[in-house]
Amino acid sequence: MRLELGKIFIKNIEFGGQTKVENGTLYVNKDELLQEIGGDSRLTKIELDIAKPGEETRIMPVKDVIEPRVKVEGPGGIFPGVLSKVDVVGSGKTNVLKGAAVVTTGKIVGFQEGIIDMSGPGADYTPFSKTNNLVIVCTPIENLQQHEHEHAVRMVGLKAAAYLGEAGKNVKPDEVKVYETLPFVEGLKMYPELPRVAYVYMLQTQGLLHDTYVYGVDAKRIVPTLMYPTEMMDGAILSGNCVSACDKNPTYNHVNNPVIEDLYERHGVDFNFVGVIITNENVTLMDKERSSNWTAKLAEYLNLDAVIISEEGFGNPDTDLMMNCKKITAKGIKTVLITDEYAGRDGASQSLADADKAADAVVTGGNANEVIELPAMKKVIGYLEPADIIAGGFDGSLRPDGSIVAELQVITGATSEIGFNKLSATQY
Amino acid sequence: MVKEIERVGIPVVHICTVVPISLTVGANRIVPAIAIPHPLGNPVKTMEEEKQLRREIVLKSLKALQTEVHGQTVFDK
Repeated sequence: MRLELGKIFIKNIEFGGQTKVENGTLYVNKDELLQEIGGDSRLTKIELDIAKPGEETRIMPVKDVIEPRVKVEGPGGIFPGVLSKVDVVGSGKTNVLKGAAVVTTGKIVGFQEGIIDMSGPGADYTPFSKTNNLVIVCTPIENLQQHEHEHAVRMVGLKAAAYLGEAGKNVKPDEVKVYETLPFVEGLKMYPELPRVAYVYMLQTQGLLHDTYVYGVDAKRIVPTLMYPTEMMDGAILSGNCVSACDKNPTYNHVNNPVIEDLYERHGVDFNFVGVIITNENVTLMDKERSSNWTAKLAEYLNLDAVIISEEGFGNPDTDLMMNCKKITAKGIKTVLITDEYAGRDGASQSLADADKAADAVVTGGNANEVIELPAMKKVIGYLEPADIIAGGFDGSLRPDGSIVAELQVITGATSEIGFNKLSATQY
Repeated sequence: MVKEIERVGIPVVHICTVVPISLTVGANRIVPAIAIPHPLGNPVKTMEEEKQLRREIVLKSLKALQTEVHGQTVFDK
């Protein structure tokens, strides 16, 4: 499967008369966009705003971040099984508005959504302070059930990203990158001397607003399966998470997974990147056993030499991570894990809820319990009040002057477990 | 908590969904629970069925408490 990803660099975003890309600026027709994303009877109001890098703006509570993409050639459309038909995506040509993002916010859905600061110390902790953001504030009807609220906001965000992506359909990309993964046998013959490496991609599926979708299927109902890495780049996997913001993968991260990107970078040079095994993180022990048995089975079946395993979230998924590690290692396949840590505010506590001797090569995305201070911002898009109740916040997190003191957990994407941020640690 | 209570000489049964975590933290008597969001219940079952489920787990736990163990034991039968 071969995908040409055309990057159109977006350096600015403005509201304008016509939705278009011109000289690196994305112009957005407000009315047309509202028309496109409106109509859901579960929402009483949808408001649009813009947040650019460097501005004194705070967006919270953030539900999802989505990158505008559009299918230019090849089967299917962006977000198959959700916005488009369920064709297998990941081949042909896709254009992306690189540097632009849709951010959804509004009244809190659950209890654990995130913060994006566009400047100041908070901006250093989130990748989405560097994107030109079209922010959507959704107001739900009274007494709307949380899962309905999440669904309504999720669909608005996805539709907005798809609408903006269309503006790039006929634009000549500034840069084109080609990604290709061959079918199993051909791939095997291609680099017979190189170690065979795959990516075990763990998806957050604990339910109760901790959900991820694969071609529209709630991933808690899948058994581990194989995917071409380019399928992700067309939005085959998307986020339904309204939970601890620091280490859940927003939809933006699923289409820009750095593990996949870096494996492609060294494919055919240092190793043979075979493909992606997706798996879930469910809430019963039998599910955890079954899924980890299957990742190990698939890793063996693919005749792998090594895998990279990334976790999403923390707590009981640490057990899924360890089970994957232990069972794949037992097949004689090397493992490297990517996780983050909840090591207490002083960093002295045990970092993960579970551990195993087989986990001897681990990369961290940072300690989510670290306490940070976020100065007040001139402008707030959304609501500050949830600062005391989102995961990482506590009674008194929001100070009277609008500044916030809280654990790093509150920042969207801060301790990304797929490496979509800059935090890590090194042992000397 | 399990370890601290046992340290003063009182046996403990840990009812827990994710048994591997319980093994990692060092519980000696472990009884598996239903699921993380609902360890002692199951919302898809009727009230009567749920009550039966709870009773079974509690009875199993009481039995575990009375069982002599030599090392970590999971009561999953």
